[in-house]
Amino acid sequence: MNVFAGVGGGSAATDAAPAVGTGKALLELTPHKIAVCHLVQVFAPPAQAGGDVVPPFPFESLAHHNRLGLFLFTLTRSCEDFLEPPLEEFLRQLKAVDDLTNGWFCEQLTSTLSALNSPDDLFNFFDKLRGVLTAPEGASAEDIFLDPNSQLGVFLRCCILAFNSMTFEGVCHLLADIVMYCNSTDASYDMAEDENFNNEVGSMMDADIGSQADMFDKYHRGFSSGSHMGESSSALTRAPMLPYDSDDANTSKADDNPTCLRSRWQLEAYLNQQADILEKDPSSVPLNSFNATMTKLRTLAPELHRVQFLQYLNALCHDDYVTSVDNLHRYFDYSAGMQGLFGRSVSPVQDIVVGKYESALLCLGNLHCYFGHPKKALEAFAEAVRVSQMNNDDSCLAYVLGAISNLLSKIGMSNTVGIISSPYSIGTNIGLGTPLSIQQQLLVLLKRSLKRADMLKLPSLLSFDHLSLAKFDLKHVQRPLVSFGPNASTKLRTCPVDVCKNLRLSSRVLTDFGTDVLSTSNDNGSFSTSWLRNLSAATGSWRSSSVKSTKLHNNDFDNFHYHAQPCPVPAPVLQLAGSACLLRATAWEHYGSAPMVRMNALVYATCFADASSSSEMSLAYVKLIQQLAVFKGYSAAFCALKLAEKKFPSSTSSHIQLLRMQILHERALHRYNTVSTLHLAAAVANSLFSTCYKYNLQVENASVLLLLAEIYKKSDNAVLGLPYALASQSFCKSFNLDLLEASATLTLAELWLALGSSHAKRALSLVYQCLPMILGHGGLELRARAHITLAKCHLSDPKFSVPEDPEAVLDPLNQATEDLQVLEYHDMAAEAYYLKAMAYNHLGKLDEREEAAACFKEHITALEKPHNEEDSLVY
Amino acid sequence: MASGKETYRAELRAAARQLGERCLYSAAKWAAELLVGVEPDAAPALSCAMDPPSSSSATPAGRLLHMHRSGGSSFRPRPRPGGGGGSEAGTPLGGVSYVSTPIPDDDAFDSGGDKYLLAKTYFDCREYRRAAHVLQNQVGRKAVFLRCYALYMAGEKRKEAEMIELEGSLGKSNAVNEELVALERELSTHRRTGSIDSFGLYLYGIVLRDKGCEGLARTILVESVNSYPWNWSAWSELQSLCTSSDILNSLNLKNHWMKDFFLASAYLELKMHEEALKRYERLVGVFRCSGYIQAQIATVQYSMRDLDEAEMIFEELLRTDPFRVDSMDVYSNLLYAKESLTALSFLAHRVFLTDKYRPESCCIIANYYSLKGLHEKSVLYFQRALKLNRKYLSAWTLMGHEYVELKNTPAAIDAYRRAVDINPRDFRAWYGLGQIYEMMGMPFYALYYFRKSSHLQPDDARLWIAMAQCYESDQLQMIEEAIKCYERAEKSNDTEGIALHQLAKLHSMLGQSEKAAFYYKKDLERMEIEERQGQNFVEALLFLAKHYRSIGRFEEAEHYCTRLLDYTGPEKETAKNMLQSIKRLQSGFPSMDIDNFSL
Repeated sequence: MNVFAGVGGGSAATDAAPAVGTGKALLELTPHKIAVCHLVQVFAPPAQAGGDVVPPFPFESLAHHNRLGLFLFTLTRSCEDFLEPPLEEFLRQLKAVDDLTNGWFCEQLTSTLSALNSPDDLFNFFDKLRGVLTAPEGASAEDIFLDPNSQLGVFLRCCILAFNSMTFEGVCHLLADIVMYCNSTDASYDMAEDENFNNEVGSMMDADIGSQADMFDKYHRGFSSGSHMGESSSALTRAPMLPYDSDDANTSKADDNPTCLRSRWQLEAYLNQQADILEKDPSSVPLNSFNATMTKLRTLAPELHRVQFLQYLNALCHDDYVTSVDNLHRYFDYSAGMQGLFGRSVSPVQDIVVGKYESALLCLGNLHCYFGHPKKALEAFAEAVRVSQMNNDDSCLAYVLGAISNLLSKIGMSNTVGIISSPYSIGTNIGLGTPLSIQQQLLVLLKRSLKRADMLKLPSLLSFDHLSLAKFDLKHVQRPLVSFGPNASTKLRTCPVDVCKNLRLSSRVLTDFGTDVLSTSNDNGSFSTSWLRNLSAATGSWRSSSVKSTKLHNNDFDNFHYHAQPCPVPAPVLQLAGSACLLRATAWEHYGSAPMVRMNALVYATCFADASSSSEMSLAYVKLIQQLAVFKGYSAAFCALKLAEKKFPSSTSSHIQLLRMQILHERALHRYNTVSTLHLAAAVANSLFSTCYKYNLQVENASVLLLLAEIYKKSDNAVLGLPYALASQSFCKSFNLDLLEASATLTLAELWLALGSSHAKRALSLVYQCLPMILGHGGLELRARAHITLAKCHLSDPKFSVPEDPEAVLDPLNQATEDLQVLEYHDMAAEAYYLKAMAYNHLGKLDEREEAAACFKEHITALEKPHNEEDSLVY
Repeated sequence: MASGKETYRAELRAAARQLGERCLYSAAKWAAELLVGVEPDAAPALSCAMDPPSSSSATPAGRLLHMHRSGGSSFRPRPRPGGGGGSEAGTPLGGVSYVSTPIPDDDAFDSGGDKYLLAKTYFDCREYRRAAHVLQNQVGRKAVFLRCYALYMAGEKRKEAEMIELEGSLGKSNAVNEELVALERELSTHRRTGSIDSFGLYLYGIVLRDKGCEGLARTILVESVNSYPWNWSAWSELQSLCTSSDILNSLNLKNHWMKDFFLASAYLELKMHEEALKRYERLVGVFRCSGYIQAQIATVQYSMRDLDEAEMIFEELLRTDPFRVDSMDVYSNLLYAKESLTALSFLAHRVFLTDKYRPESCCIIANYYSLKGLHEKSVLYFQRALKLNRKYLSAWTLMGHEYVELKNTPAAIDAYRRAVDINPRDFRAWYGLGQIYEMMGMPFYALYYFRKSSHLQPDDARLWIAMAQCYESDQLQMIEEAIKCYERAEKSNDTEGIALHQLAKLHSMLGQSEKAAFYYKKDLERMEIEERQGQNFVEALLFLAKHYRSIGRFEEAEHYCTRLLDYTGPEKETAKNMLQSIKRLQSGFPSMDIDNFSL
């Protein structure tokens, strides 16, 4: 889906939190962060002079200590939600980490939090925190203290800074929030059930909640009503706020937990993750509920404009044109001056001065392209080119060029008239000067984009351009751009070497990225997210079964699922590499090696599934299923198709839908006696050929020519068919379409054979010529045809006598009948059995002859009475 | 009929008192103002009031960029002060019969009247929680209302404070009025049991609105105004919930004379200016001295771009009510459009002395600085206005204009965008956005915004012209589309005649000289009527002369050439040459014919 191209699938464009210049603290203090701070303090206690024990007090082992460290690290990086977890959830997670000290951490944490009773307590708390970061005098290198530049150190420093820059009102709010945070722990969260947990703590907690309620009252209401609040009045005003004395405690409980956002970094990681999900599987994201989530986030953080971009993507994925256009414009109106999409390659200063309105145009163009308005898309891209040239935004320019070439290759040749013949063609608009054919324009654009990407060190774009070039080489004839006169060389070849070269260069990003800029933005929080998710999944099952799981005592990594491990390669890079793999499969499809197609598609489906978009994934599945249909018959293909349809609901994937129709159609053609209207077929094929010719679709030309030859063969007009077959063969040769060439040769042999037995020799040599290719790479049908033709050649050769060499005829025929049985190709199967019966007749083996004849009859009746067969595959 | 007026007076008098006792200050103020606004009986009116609306063209529009401030062309005389309308006063306005609503008895001094008195004084001193506390166990409707209202106000006050306290780097402002939940529960219980009065309903309505239940809020507010129509605050809350004319028409309102005020104001908000004006002109017959109606009429007229008339009303208004700040921002916009620097500075000074911490005052001062060309200062004051009221729509738009002047495009875009997010129907901000993008050399991108604005204001020629200019730009060169837009602009009364001229030009560019000649001719006629002459005039003459010569209609060609001779410049010489060639052709052709015959 190219909408995501250039946007970098969301996560590629992550900028480091650009909170600079707002004059505000990097993060906002919340009760959850205070709790984390407290745990950091437990993790790395302020060093006391001398007498340091390793590990520090509550920890039983280094592993235990590290475990808490890892937990704290993931807490600051995880991005599964935009809201911070309530205390209850947090305690549950903490308990999973801390199963060795009988809940000492939880106890400590809740008591510390509930001890924060006055603003002064908070001041003291942060004073103590400061001690964590300063190494004591005379500390040696092996002493444990927190590195101020580590992840946790930075977190701690940010918190301290945020607290220092807080107003008194802010401190009071924080205090009130902490009380609410503690209150949100439901009384039903009973610790008694948990054997490991100290019962006393549970009762202590309950007592705490009671006192906290009073405190909450004191700090939250204190400002406006003063300390003389009457009991009845407070009961009235507080009624909905306290979960314990009102009937709808559960509904108001949700309001109780302060809605605290995570840090900006986490929010952006969360949004990127959502963008990835949207790309990967839009059908899994319901339009409205996602919008509701985003709206909620927007009300909580109105200045986080990336949310609008997500809303745009969401609308786009659900084909809502109006909403997506509106959100696109809104997003860029708010943020184009500040948050460009390609922040990595451009200095932040330039970002602000110049503005990133050209990327708005790029996205708008992609949007129009997605919705199928190529003209509008081109206008937008042309404007994007102008504006990025005006603003010296080279990276955007390169992306735009890439997008234009993508568009051109997408609209292909079918729509050229509308665009090219308009007097305002892009040729003049983007500075190509002379009007060129659309392919030439495409090539020029691709090369320009490639050059820029190379110069500007934009590895993903570079790889994308290489891919596009490979695609271009695969489909189009390389012709010198300016060719004059009769002497100009017109070498009409697609060049497999070029394709191969480009494909390889494209996947070079995989190896390059390690040393390149991409590696800087690798941690996208997904590792932390899944770590925490696994943790809570494990504890969840543990709690519900209330059987002590031994698993938790093992190494942490037991909790991981395979895919949860941090991937060293960023998803967009992986995606591009995957595309290269997929394109390689397509290339082999053209050049005629079915096994290579299968292999590449398999590699894609297994190795790149995590990073792939749904459309590319479904394409890989389609290729695999097509392979199945050709090699294993339709039943196998349908089984696979059913699985695929489960994975990609047919409403969302046009690839799968097409495939289903194609397979159904082909099978129907094979199984049933279709009404033969060859003259109609010839007419259609002729007009198809002229269309392909007009739009320079050389590769398609070859197959259409072959089709024409086949049609004439079927209508017993071999003389007419010969020139088409020959032409197709030579086309295939010049475009390196090996398999197609083999099948053209086979058709040629069949045509010669149809001309009379005198040509049997020639036909036989042709069949021998193409047999290796067909047996090696061809599908079942092609193989069966070759075998039948071989047998026919022998049989019709007057010099050949069956009794002398019965295997030469019977072997291929046996092979053919076997293959055709799988394919349910009654027509050809009948022919094979007929030939077999003839051969046995010659040999005088009457029983075998009768058997073959019976089979022949069976297939003939099946062909004529299609309804007798039960049809399990139609659904 | 004096008795009719006396009824109004009696109703309003009671209303002002009742509203005041419930601390609904602004509604009480409104009622009292209107009470004084009822025409005195002493001078029975004689002259006929309602002149039939007649229109004639007037003021040219101001600068295109500042279209928000610029006026328009339709002119609508209003009844002269002291004029007629009195004859209609007693009878129901406009011939509709009103449902008389009995003035409810006040349960003023039920038990606990003293406590109520105390609570009210606390409320007056803005000690809301104290007021609520005093009324703790009172069960009278009045007491219940005041207690709830006090709590609501306390919550609002706290919310305002928290909004500033809680603002973070991501603009977090999820401060809510924490009393809403409790208030909703209590009021809905009262409503179920039927122990709620119209004031309680009003409060219930705004609580519901704050909670986001707009549909129910509308229903409740309708109930409130139907049972007690004199509470203008309830009406205006209701109006703010009517965002489209469909919603407005679906309301089931009792036919009280207050409904006319409501409808007129709602029409004004929905840009149905004609209807609004009609209603106000009827109302002014009774409430001759009401400043409110005068200001509203002036606002309508300003919106209809009838600047002179609006200015007269505002001047009069300021004379009678020199310390008025309401609606004065509209007046300042008007003065800006007329570029009356002195008057604007006078107004700014006056409101500054009256109350400088009103968003309107800041806006007026900002307008003054803008007119002076001091855009930085102007932005400063707009920002102050927005600090006082973040939802002050026109300030956002105007600040956008200032940023445009300062060439700070990102800030301008941001300001405009905030305006359209507050009210997506604000076509000026959409237009502003389009204009900025056009200035940035992104005409294709700008089209989206122009399309939006012309969708909202389809009869505004300026928007169509802006769109056409985008299509016509060097980058896009989509001439056919441009022509379509200009045609549309020409149909919707393009006062500046840009459309005609451009149509002619574009058609001649495309080689469609017949059409071009048609439009040039039309343009010429228009300029003749308006007695405007200039380069366009010469251009039209020249084209027509050439055109008619080329199709062989020499007399017309000669006519235009002769007219060209009145002008100096190179065209004069061209015309002279053309005249000579025409003469030659005219004399040449007949002789040729004769020659042919002779042969």
